[in-house]
Amino acid sequence: MNNGRPVVLIVEDSALIRMGAVDLVLTAGYEALEARDADEAIRILELRNDVDLVFTDVQMPGTMDGIKLSHYIRDRWPPVKLIVASGAAILEESSLPSGSRFFSKPYDEHTITDAMARLLLSETHSMT
Amino acid sequence: MPKLESLLLATASGSANIQAYELELKRLDQKTRQLVVNAQTLNDGDVNHIRLLLAVTDVTDARAEARLKDDLIRDKAILLQEVQHRVANSLQIIASVLMQSARRVQSEEARGHLHNAHHRVMSIAALQRQLSTSPGGSVELRTYFKQLCQSLGASMIADPERLSIQVTADNSAVEADVSVSLGLIVTELVINALKHAFPDERSGTILLDYQSSGKDWTLSITDDGIGMPAGSDAPKAGLGTGIVEALVKNLGGEISLSDAAPGTIVKISHQESAGSQTSYSNAA
Repeated sequence: MNNGRPVVLIVEDSALIRMGAVDLVLTAGYEALEARDADEAIRILELRNDVDLVFTDVQMPGTMDGIKLSHYIRDRWPPVKLIVASGAAILEESSLPSGSRFFSKPYDEHTITDAMARLLLSETHSMT
Repeated sequence: MPKLESLLLATASGSANIQAYELELKRLDQKTRQLVVNAQTLNDGDVNHIRLLLAVTDVTDARAEARLKDDLIRDKAILLQEVQHRVANSLQIIASVLMQSARRVQSEEARGHLHNAHHRVMSIAALQRQLSTSPGGSVELRTYFKQLCQSLGASMIADPERLSIQVTADNSAVEADVSVSLGLIVTELVINALKHAFPDERSGTILLDYQSSGKDWTLSITDDGIGMPAGSDAPKAGLGTGIVEALVKNLGGEISLSDAAPGTIVKISHQESAGSQTSYSNAA
């Protein structure tokens, strides 16, 4: 949380999809951070302690894909909420950390902002 | 090959049984061959003259072929998955760009057109998703229509208490080409109903139904809204109407519009027996 605005980190290797996701997050009233792959995402998470939610792609170049990244984040930063999007139509829910949400691409923007709002709401509730 | 020798001796004495015993034949300067050995004792009562019937099959080539086939099948599955990911990603790029333009344009009309374009892309995406999970390239319409209407509702219906879309359909499954046309028709008609049938916070339901019998089928979209304005109040046909007409024609179907009192029924039917005969029933 930054000045009351939830902070969302977008991890996506495609420039145009990332741009669209940033726009989506800003329109929803959150602060947006962006990373091109898992390694960059981890660097950002290490530098900033105010990231509330990570919205990640699955298929990405680099040392980790989005699924590995989501497990890594859950282990190292347990309170961070997770949304995973992939070109795969179906993903085994069990392959993701519990409590994270999965959506197939192309995702409906309202569905994503709804999911973000719900996850972020549950965060403030659990904190109070 | 001492192991084979001992096995053959054991077989001759009756204490072992060689059936499809596999071994590798290694020779100097030659490639290893894979052999399958079957041995059978021939005992005609004279215990001093037990003979062995030995069959040796060289399965090296057959094994290599089977392995190659497995590899090809696996490669094909991986390739197909990669293509599906690529298609999904490409559609995501198009959808993202359209939504970004929709958020930026000033004109309400332009925004509407961009949203419609986005719905059309999402309609094709829903089909793509369905195809990637259904074997044999055929599309089960009920699942597809439900997914489609859910996606349209999610982005167009602000208050689900006020407006809802219901889908009823039989167990029909159709080819991908046909389903993409049906999906786009449904998209246009549902968008149209959501936009025009329920003004001033009017509540209501849109009902989508698909039934088939043999090669004949009927798709209907019924709303309980304000009904279609007629005469000079009738709206000018837009791109959506053009898309629906072109696709219906392509499917060899006929479109009819009637008053549902209240609301409107748009019915698209394909009668194989009707052939090229055209009959307009109450076309508005």
